[in-house]
Amino acid sequence: MASPAIDSRSAALTSDIGRILDRVKTMPLAAWFGILAAGVVLLQLLFAGSESFPARWAAAFADPFDRFARWALENRRSGEPHPVFTYLFDPLADAVGWGLASVESTLLWFPWFVLPIAAFAYVARTRRWADATVAAAALIYPGLVGLWDVTVETLALMAIAVFISVIIGIPLGVAAAFRPRFDTTIRPVMDAMQTVPAPVYFVPMLMFFGIGAVPATLATVIYALPPLVRLTTVGIRQVPTASVDASDMFGASPMQTLRKVQLPMAMPTILTGVTQTIMMALGIVVLATLLGAGGLGQEVMDTLAQRRMGRGVATGLAIVSIALVLDRLGRAAAVTDRSVLPSRRTVWWGVAAVAALTVAGRAAGVNTFPEVWDTKVFDPIDDGVDWIQENFRWLTRSINDGLVSWMYVPVKDLLIDTVAWPALVFAGSWISWRVAGWRLALFTAAAVSFIGLIGMWELSLDTLTQVIAAVVVSLLVAIPLGVWAGRSRRVEAALSPVLDALQTIPSLVYIIPAVTLFTVGVVPGIIASVLYAMVPGVRITALGIKQVPTESIEASQTFGATPTQTLLGVRLPLAATTIMAAVNQVIMMVLAMVIISGLVGGGGLGFETISAVKNSEVGHGFAVGLAIVIMAIILDRSTQAIARRLQPPTA
Amino acid sequence: MESTPEAKLVADGVWKVFGARSTRATDVVLSLADSGATRSHILEQTGATIGARDVSFSVAPGETFVIMGLSGSGKSTLLRCVACLTPVTRGSVALDGEELTSMSADELRRVRREKLSMVFQHFGLFPHRRVIDNVAYGLEVQGWDRAKRHAKADEILELVGLTGWGNHYPQQLSGGMQQRVGLARALAVEPDVLFFDEPFSALDPLIRRDMQEELLRLQHTMQRTIVFVTHDFDEAIKLGDRIAIMKDGEFDQVGTAAELLADPATDYVREFTRNVSRAKVVTVDRVMVALPDRTTAATSAPGTGANGGTTVPAGAVLEDVLGLLVSNRGDVSVVDDDGRAIGVVDRSRVETVLKG
Repeated sequence: MASPAIDSRSAALTSDIGRILDRVKTMPLAAWFGILAAGVVLLQLLFAGSESFPARWAAAFADPFDRFARWALENRRSGEPHPVFTYLFDPLADAVGWGLASVESTLLWFPWFVLPIAAFAYVARTRRWADATVAAAALIYPGLVGLWDVTVETLALMAIAVFISVIIGIPLGVAAAFRPRFDTTIRPVMDAMQTVPAPVYFVPMLMFFGIGAVPATLATVIYALPPLVRLTTVGIRQVPTASVDASDMFGASPMQTLRKVQLPMAMPTILTGVTQTIMMALGIVVLATLLGAGGLGQEVMDTLAQRRMGRGVATGLAIVSIALVLDRLGRAAAVTDRSVLPSRRTVWWGVAAVAALTVAGRAAGVNTFPEVWDTKVFDPIDDGVDWIQENFRWLTRSINDGLVSWMYVPVKDLLIDTVAWPALVFAGSWISWRVAGWRLALFTAAAVSFIGLIGMWELSLDTLTQVIAAVVVSLLVAIPLGVWAGRSRRVEAALSPVLDALQTIPSLVYIIPAVTLFTVGVVPGIIASVLYAMVPGVRITALGIKQVPTESIEASQTFGATPTQTLLGVRLPLAATTIMAAVNQVIMMVLAMVIISGLVGGGGLGFETISAVKNSEVGHGFAVGLAIVIMAIILDRSTQAIARRLQPPTA
Repeated sequence: MESTPEAKLVADGVWKVFGARSTRATDVVLSLADSGATRSHILEQTGATIGARDVSFSVAPGETFVIMGLSGSGKSTLLRCVACLTPVTRGSVALDGEELTSMSADELRRVRREKLSMVFQHFGLFPHRRVIDNVAYGLEVQGWDRAKRHAKADEILELVGLTGWGNHYPQQLSGGMQQRVGLARALAVEPDVLFFDEPFSALDPLIRRDMQEELLRLQHTMQRTIVFVTHDFDEAIKLGDRIAIMKDGEFDQVGTAAELLADPATDYVREFTRNVSRAKVVTVDRVMVALPDRTTAATSAPGTGANGGTTVPAGAVLEDVLGLLVSNRGDVSVVDDDGRAIGVVDRSRVETVLKG
């Protein structure tokens, strides 16, 4: 055992080194910029001509994954499967597959009108009649446009994914609430899981389970799990100590206290977690079509591929209406105010009525949604889309050309074709050092070089360019709008329902209008990213502005400051940390969307992931996925570090 | 400590140290404390706080023992140690001769089910359970079936004056009523020992007084052993058979209300006693000048002494004797139960005590 004296000396030494290394964080900005410029110029001169990173490990990296995927494929298909498949993956896949099939057939067994009525009744029990009506109407809509069966397919996928998430997530959350050590272990993993764009999860699923609804479900579970785990932990920890102590004092065992006190008291928070999980699951379930899941997502992909925009819009709206239904059901589930909820007897009558309707419907032979309108219903939409494309071509074309020639191409040229790679690695690390410290700087240097070595250099820079373009546009719109909403109650009241609605819409749906207006290429992806990321940008900025204490603003006004002076001198600086959190959110959401827009020819890492999944190129998929993860981590960490640095010092 | 054999609950040299990162750090703190370092000195040196410092006391069956102190004095910490909600750092707590502090979790659970209960400052009710299920909780934990435990809970609800409220949820009740639920929940299991952690401090003064009366009324018939923590000296005097005044994790003085008022051991205790009406609490035997010889012949009736003076019984409070002293313009003799004179009080002595 080391003596305490040596311990403390070595601790002091480490902290000295840390202090010296962190000097960069506090050096004058001019000096820091000077070194940045000098370093870039020097490296540019030294390494002229080496714009592209030598992809030394590209083949060596992809090979083992490809070999494993081949091995898995052979051992799964052969007459004598490997025990790993016989006893682990196959039973797992069978169970999930069985669950999917039974839920889907059960939902289809019900006469169609029972589902909207049951949804209405469930929400109406909280006496929110408007919500109940919305939920019922949103369940009827997909049937009206002839999407009943695919919608049910998606619902079944969701149901199983959410069910598995609940079974895994709640125990994990409970464990984390009781074991701080476990909590600190899984937290960074879950943080990382939430920053990674969904398609990245498809590659490993593909490797173990091949193509189909089962890997799609499991990818959904992984993606949708973190909020449930976290909110379960939060909910359990929020239970007042006195309640737990009271239970202990009566001699309750830990299990009794958990079951009778902690879980019931945490239930509202846990249900919020379930709602979030459901919304995240919907976002990815429609994407999981790439793994061959079917459902509404497949419908969207088909319409995008065939450029049948009318049907695309109708399908997009069906996804939105599912989101609406689930959101309203989730909100209703979280209501625990007993003075609002009906008595047990009323609930039983409701259940009996729904059961009676079911029996009656079955007896009358009603089953799936009747064909109300044939596909002609889409013709007017198609015509409308044509008309818009025709008449607004001048606008869309100029936006398109402006974005491409003034932002995308110049930045891309600069990053990919002009600056030498050592200069870029240096610039990235030097910036990370300034904003977050030497640890992130080291990580950036190593990870970025690794991206280059596995052959992802140009693809990553292409994606980075798209991210930069979309983030700049998003922030130019979101921050002023957020500041405005934060200062004016009327603006906030007007924006709030729009933002609420936009926030529940899964990412894939944003692609549809973008493609409708801007056809294919980089621009629809950027436009979709801007639309998708703007919502939290506006929201969080407005929150930050609103949180500025009235006292500070009044203090500024008493000195005779103009509104602009108050905004620049007091409001913005005090809201800076929160606004930076908005920037962080915007960047992460843009990255997710830029990856997904690979579906419509966005290029870069997004297109590569999607084509790797489609063509089962596992090794290549892993390399792309890793590059995305690294980019996500660096962007997330550095923007979070900036947000922390902007925080006014506390006592 | 005077751990008499018939004591119900005995705390022996209880220490509680917060903020020590390791057992070695705890040892450092304890050895510093043993060498006489003050609480603030220890905090400065080690970053650790001493919540309870070598506290010993014992509570007799049926006795109400009040621990009184201001916030930060360590009174709640001490109670949590005694109730085993927090492990003690050093020392022990025993109930009926069984050492709680060294028990396994299972044994402790058994003792709690059979003998202990607690009422909390912020009630600690379960908002998701109806009042009746709150009250029946302890019985449910013990495995009573539904009908039986509900019958028992109804009985207790009647006892605390909440008949008919069983089907409400706690949030639908006023603060005072909520604490009645807390009390009922604690009483339902018929505990030997009841712990009260500032149970009435969150209530407004009128309701607080009601609850104190209620507790006195219940205790009069139940005769449970009670450890009661409060920051309110008046409450301590009203409820406590004995009171411990706690400061900086230690007891400054332990005694009956009269003892504390008559001879406060420290300035700190005197500070509390200043605003209390001693006339109602202090007995004459505590202020009298004792007679050296107790063999003086008894006289016939109280009221007239052997030498024609006035007498009062030893247990009389000062209020009773004040009138006599004023009208008598002389000393009053104090007699014991057998009518023997055991001492003399004069006006100036009584006035000194009354002024504090």
